Amino acid sequence: MTAMDVRERDPYRIHGGHGHALGGPAPIRIVVGYGFWIFLLSDIVMFSAFFAAYAVLAGKTAGGPSGAELFNLRNVAIETAALLLSSFTCGLAGLAVTARRSSWFYVAMTVTFVLGASFILLELREFVHMVASGAGPTRSAFLSAFFTLVGCHGLHVTAGLLWLLTMMAQIFAKGFRDDILRRFMCFSLFWHALDIIWVALFTVVYLLGASR
Amino acid sequence: MSNADDRHAQRRDTHDLERYDIDTAPGDEYLGDTDVGSGLRGYVIGLGLATLLTIASFWLPGTDLVWAPGVPVALVVLAIAQMGVHLVFFLHITTGPDNTNNALALAFGVLIVVLVIGGSIWIMANLDKNLMPMNAIMNMNR
Amino acid sequence: MLGKLSWDVIPFDQPLPMIASAVVALTILGVLAWVFLAGHFPYLWREWITSVDHKRIGVMYTLLALLMLLRGFSDAVMMRSQQALAFQAPGYLPPDHFNQVFSAHGTIMIFFGAMPFVIGLMNLVVPLQLGVRDVAFPTLNSVSLWLTATGALLVNISLVIGEFARTGWLPYPPLSETAYSPGVGVDYYLWAVQIAGVGTLLTGINFVTTILKMRAPGMSYLRMSMFCWTSLAASLLIVAAFPILTATLAMLTLDRYFGFHFFTNEAGGNMLMFVNLIWAWGHPEVYILVLPAFGIFSEVISTFSSKPLFGYRSMVAATLFICIVSFMVWLHHFFTMGAGADVNAAFGIATSIIAVGTGVKIYNWMFTMYGGRIRFATPMLWSLGFMVTFVIGGMTGVLLAVPPADFLLHNSLFLVAHFHNVIIGGVLFGAFAGYTYWFPKAFGFRLHEGWGKLAFWLTLIGFYATFVPLYAVGLLGMTRRMQHFDVPAWYPWVLVAGAGMIITTAGVVAQIIQLVVSIRQRAALRDSTGDPWDGRSLEWATPSPPPVFNFAALPHVEGEEPYWSIKQRAREQNRLRDEPEYEPIEMPRNSPTGFICAFFATVMGFALIWHIWWMVALGALGAFATFVVFAWRDKPEYVISAAEVARIDRANRSARREALATYTGPRP
Repeated sequence: MTAMDVRERDPYRIHGGHGHALGGPAPIRIVVGYGFWIFLLSDIVMFSAFFAAYAVLAGKTAGGPSGAELFNLRNVAIETAALLLSSFTCGLAGLAVTARRSSWFYVAMTVTFVLGASFILLELREFVHMVASGAGPTRSAFLSAFFTLVGCHGLHVTAGLLWLLTMMAQIFAKGFRDDILRRFMCFSLFWHALDIIWVALFTVVYLLGASR
Repeated sequence: MSNADDRHAQRRDTHDLERYDIDTAPGDEYLGDTDVGSGLRGYVIGLGLATLLTIASFWLPGTDLVWAPGVPVALVVLAIAQMGVHLVFFLHITTGPDNTNNALALAFGVLIVVLVIGGSIWIMANLDKNLMPMNAIMNMNR
Repeated sequence: MLGKLSWDVIPFDQPLPMIASAVVALTILGVLAWVFLAGHFPYLWREWITSVDHKRIGVMYTLLALLMLLRGFSDAVMMRSQQALAFQAPGYLPPDHFNQVFSAHGTIMIFFGAMPFVIGLMNLVVPLQLGVRDVAFPTLNSVSLWLTATGALLVNISLVIGEFARTGWLPYPPLSETAYSPGVGVDYYLWAVQIAGVGTLLTGINFVTTILKMRAPGMSYLRMSMFCWTSLAASLLIVAAFPILTATLAMLTLDRYFGFHFFTNEAGGNMLMFVNLIWAWGHPEVYILVLPAFGIFSEVISTFSSKPLFGYRSMVAATLFICIVSFMVWLHHFFTMGAGADVNAAFGIATSIIAVGTGVKIYNWMFTMYGGRIRFATPMLWSLGFMVTFVIGGMTGVLLAVPPADFLLHNSLFLVAHFHNVIIGGVLFGAFAGYTYWFPKAFGFRLHEGWGKLAFWLTLIGFYATFVPLYAVGLLGMTRRMQHFDVPAWYPWVLVAGAGMIITTAGVVAQIIQLVVSIRQRAALRDSTGDPWDGRSLEWATPSPPPVFNFAALPHVEGEEPYWSIKQRAREQNRLRDEPEYEPIEMPRNSPTGFICAFFATVMGFALIWHIWWMVALGALGAFATFVVFAWRDKPEYVISAAEVARIDRANRSARREALATYTGPRP
């Protein structure tokens, strides 16, 4: 396989340059993707500290309400569906990028945004409801850990939504340029990773909490 | 070594490179596999599996299918399976040779997560067992 | 409007901090005035502040580290002199001030002295040793530098405006909670460390990616120099450990700002959880600092023994072993907290095991020297001083790893002596070895040997004179952080330690004189060859200082010690390798993103400390806008023409040819 063949079969020019070890520095797309991957892993380690705090403090309700009394699993199921679907549509946006179909890209990204925003709204509604009923984060150590862990994920999703809009604006302004494509790759990694963290969250916090 | 030798060495290494050293960015599928049809198939399969696992997780605690004390274990297993599905079908992290570095980094991350969460729980549970609860001390002071 | 801020927060009634900060402020203003009046600012802005060149960033990191080491050292002088004067007397530092001094000392030394020093040397050297032109993310590198500088600035602002934490360098709750520390001291700590921590995390990501994905052709993993390996391990530890610190401090912040109950006495909070989490970061942090230092010693000892590193592969294995096991020992920082014998024993055994990795390294260094042609230049002296000192520190560490012994020694000055023994003897000696070793690479002239050797001996003797008495007095039962004491048996030891501090101070002065003398005599100390120490790894293949693109053509690596084999071949054939075909080189453009981003981070951090909420929003908005503007630019690179590359490289080649012609065999 000559270098030319590789480039033609490889829209991202993953192998346009040399590979990573023996051939010299890796192509920039691999470097950027790997760097962002390392960032995501560090983010997951950060979540693990919040998870550890939650695991230790989950039973410390200080006479206040426990998870089983507070959690509305129907709400959580809808949130989960929204986030899972948004992960799927984000993947579709990636396919639209591969095919260079900008209209499909905008549609898929818009749907992703709507799903992500509904997730955030549902979460906010749950939070507001809990605080109003006297189960705010200052009530007990359990609730502090709950609000921090779930809220930290929510903050990530919010940041993701902001990034999503910036990404759409960038594709609109600059087209499918190499550096924009790299950034989109990072965005989709970020979005999928948030869904993975949510899987851990709804299992550990909501399902285990409700059955406790 | 002369210039020609150098170029020869370079060619040799480029050759090695094509055989052993193919590398992809995390999130990218392996080249040759990037047409939209098969890409879509991957996402649909991923969505299907993830949906099934999610439904199973939500449905399981309400049934008598699993022995009650086993429910947490079952839930954790389902969650880990679903994370695996996401990693493979959405993030395209595989164990292929093009993905060695990505998978190794993930393994390191998972190891740290396990150590931090597992270690914290173990240490703190041990402390709880060995220390007098706070309210007992409060009562003593009274 | 201004939150908690008012004129009352400036300590006009305390002459000591006021005079100190006035001197510092006047010096800074003087330097700034000189820079602007003499017209140096455009040059500084263009060539340094906005630079994304890893070498320049490395130099700026090191400069920051040296300044902060001086600040932290002045705190140390105050503590030792206070204790020397405070036998059955109040001394000259009121307790309130003394507590801030020891808290600031630890915080500054670890976060803003040792970390930037180590990271600065990594920045300067790693891309050169890998044979590449820059790190993976050059602009991000600049962001890291300036965020670290932001943290350092915030800590120093606390000297004048408000106060610093009185909680020790790790703010254990409940003391650090609002109920017991209502002032802004802990908030200064939290935001300074948090902002600098983001910078450090980004550095870690940058270097993991650089080392794993950006290497010269042929540079396989097992051909990388030892310093690259240890930098990789340290960067992995940064990526894995700093997020834990971020999360833990965030929880404390939530407790303090919004009344959460993570670590409080009430409502089910668990303060021991803070201790647990902070050390889950804290122990890897120790190795983040010392592993790069191990790498430096490996380079220095091999170069100055004129031999390849003994047991290279076992060294790599030991490094990775330490990297993993460092995450399994954190409980040894709180054996006395109340865990059962099983948990304490498990972590005690793990702690003893991790010493094996270091033991392997010590033997490898000794065998590297064995039979070598050793040159006792300053970097080599630091390395030898390290080997002896670190072994002593390591052995007292293994002693403390035994839980029953730890129950007696916990929080005593024995512990203080132990960790200074490993951090000064390991990290600081390593940083100084690297500083003298790579200084000619960065600036094109060597440091003065005479003053360097004097600085080494004074520092070494000063160190032992200060800390051996602390071991003794720790065994006699003196605990750490005492503002005054009444036990006559301790007094002589404390006095000796104070005298040791005077010797150490002389060492610091000698180090400063060395720099000044070297700059003045730079013509005589000039290194025209780019290879002043007869080095073995690729950084010595470049001119001193290296051009912005480092290598005119990326070197082709064929084995371990790539530069040594190139040099040997040239010596055997008595000619250089043929000139490469020069091609134009693309380099990343300079960018003010890092500096502007850090400016907004400073505004935001300061506003958060003083609860000035509109200013927080302004800072956050500014930082986001900076990133969008950065993301919007169209031309991230510029091109250096082939002719320019050829001109620069030919100058280097002619210097090498001259060195080759005058080569007379290995130096004595």
